[in-house]
Amino acid sequence: MKGRLLVILLAGLAIGALLAWLLVTGTTHVALVEDVIPAEPPPTPTPAPEQRITLFFAGGDGLLHPEIRTVPLPEDTAARIRIVFAELLAGPRSSLQPILPYPAELRALFVTPGGRAYLDISGPPEPLEGSATELMMVYGLVNSVLLNTEVVAVQVLFEGTERATLTGHLDLSRPLVLNKDLIGR
Amino acid sequence: MRKTVLIALVAILLVTTGLQAQTLPPRLEFRHQGLKIETTPVRNHVEVSPIMTLLGGEAAFSASAGVWALSLGEHLVQVAPDRRLVLVNGKLAEVQDAPISSPGGIAVRLSFLDDFILAPFGFHLEPIVGGYSIVPGVSSGKPITIRPAAADFSATTTLVLSLDRAVEATVEARPGGGVVVLLPRSAPRIESPNRLRSRRVRSVVAAPGRLEIDLSPTIGLISWNVLTGPDRVVMELGTVPPTPTPAPIIARPVERSGPRPIVIDPGHGGDDTGAVGASGLSEKELTLVIARRLAQALRSAGYPVRLTRDGDAGRALTDRAALANRLDARLFVSLHANASTVASVHGAETYYMSLDDRASDEAAQFTADLENRAGGAGLQGGSTLDLILWDMAQSEVLNESARLALRVQARLNALLGLKDRGVKQAPFVVLTGATMPAVLVEVGFLSNSEELEQLASPTHQQGLADAIALGIGDFLVGQ
Repeated sequence: MKGRLLVILLAGLAIGALLAWLLVTGTTHVALVEDVIPAEPPPTPTPAPEQRITLFFAGGDGLLHPEIRTVPLPEDTAARIRIVFAELLAGPRSSLQPILPYPAELRALFVTPGGRAYLDISGPPEPLEGSATELMMVYGLVNSVLLNTEVVAVQVLFEGTERATLTGHLDLSRPLVLNKDLIGR
Repeated sequence: MRKTVLIALVAILLVTTGLQAQTLPPRLEFRHQGLKIETTPVRNHVEVSPIMTLLGGEAAFSASAGVWALSLGEHLVQVAPDRRLVLVNGKLAEVQDAPISSPGGIAVRLSFLDDFILAPFGFHLEPIVGGYSIVPGVSSGKPITIRPAAADFSATTTLVLSLDRAVEATVEARPGGGVVVLLPRSAPRIESPNRLRSRRVRSVVAAPGRLEIDLSPTIGLISWNVLTGPDRVVMELGTVPPTPTPAPIIARPVERSGPRPIVIDPGHGGDDTGAVGASGLSEKELTLVIARRLAQALRSAGYPVRLTRDGDAGRALTDRAALANRLDARLFVSLHANASTVASVHGAETYYMSLDDRASDEAAQFTADLENRAGGAGLQGGSTLDLILWDMAQSEVLNESARLALRVQARLNALLGLKDRGVKQAPFVVLTGATMPAVLVEVGFLSNSEELEQLASPTHQQGLADAIALGIGDFLVGQ
């Protein structure tokens, strides 16, 4: 009887020792893995590939004329629109005239899954005059965005709100599509 | 088993025979008043242009609208490939088979030709050996049997007209009381008319292309529908005001006597000065001066004229075309003076309205979705048809607006030696909603010092007014 009890006791000790060994070696193993595998290096941003874009600026004939320049252009539509807007705001590099008559700020930007872009820009500090001013500004922006992105129509908002018109001519209450009539030859 | 196979063979034979009956021969002859043409059908459709030539009419294609205008005398039918809607003398109709594009332009089914092209021109097809003769008069129509049944309830009566085939039907309240059911190109026959029992429906009488329904006094039409499965016209009758749909709230028409006026719109006004030149000359002043001179020139030529403002008054942009609509104006001409941030820009230009092409496509898709949802049977509601009608009408108005713009711009160029800035399209607010040919004329740039000096000159102002008046005259003469 005593012998059987001793055997059971020894067996229990052996199992306990085995468990303790497993526990210790397991922890060591995990720690080892943690030490061996190097930490993931932070992704290095790759520069967007340079591409040719077409921007529209005002000509001396009061029509829009294209100016082609090469800029880093990301794939993302919203990011592309921001680049186009920034390039338009920077102004022409040729003898053409700016289409934005004031330093407009792109306050917000939305692109719907259907390909409509809504550009919310800051309003003009002073009232603008003439349909030509309105047409050059709005269609210079609209045509430039349409030709360099997958967007199919653009609506321009001012100070976060929809404006019926800017100088009393052009209907700005809806998205606009490419206007070829205003592009000079 | 043998019986089943036999039935199947007979069914196949019947279907094949039916298809063959619709298949046109390789050559088809059309005769009219001693003249004869032979055409080659295109996919069982008949070329329209040779038929119009045979009739002495005209088939003209509008590339911008994508619509064929078929005209003979005062009648006009407008059709477009792949569209199941047709404008017949300004009224919209829906057809079973859309026209198709063909080598000759546009081709239609024979039934389409008979019902929607020849019938409006006062002709119909009579079969002859090898083709058809186009003869004057209205076809007697296809027979249709109608079985009326009525159920009287406490306040209303439901009248059901069961039809033995699908038919285009329209129900209208008669001005003197009662109801008429229009069944174009049909010869209706009433089955068992004496079995109709109703205290509100007195009689249903058949006439060529229509049913006349007499009702008890004070009873009118509440609503109606054309339903399928089985084909039937169902109408609700009762003592409520006999208006099928509530009348839209519209502005009261402006009283007008005499011929349709030309509406001249001096741009801006009131607090809205528009552009202002370095000399202080404002757009609102200049446009009013030229508008008055233009009105005088047009009146001298015999045209009645109305101005949207005849003083320094502000007027909402949308009110200006609305006034022209209410006056049922022949033309709408909005006058403006331009300004640019580029000082060198000068010259006059004429704009007409542009519709957003993609928006139109979306509207068409939306329309198609609605039609599909309605299963093709719910078009009587009006909104879908109105949408398409508006689309087609706008296309036609745009063509006319383009022609007016070209005439005006040509005169401005020729008479004044102005730099031709051409005719362009843009979605201008003031032109939105105009239901007549409408243009916006920019007479010159106040921001250009030389042109500003010219624009301030009464001689130049008169020259501009005369040029625009001549352009309008050119357009109206060519109409």
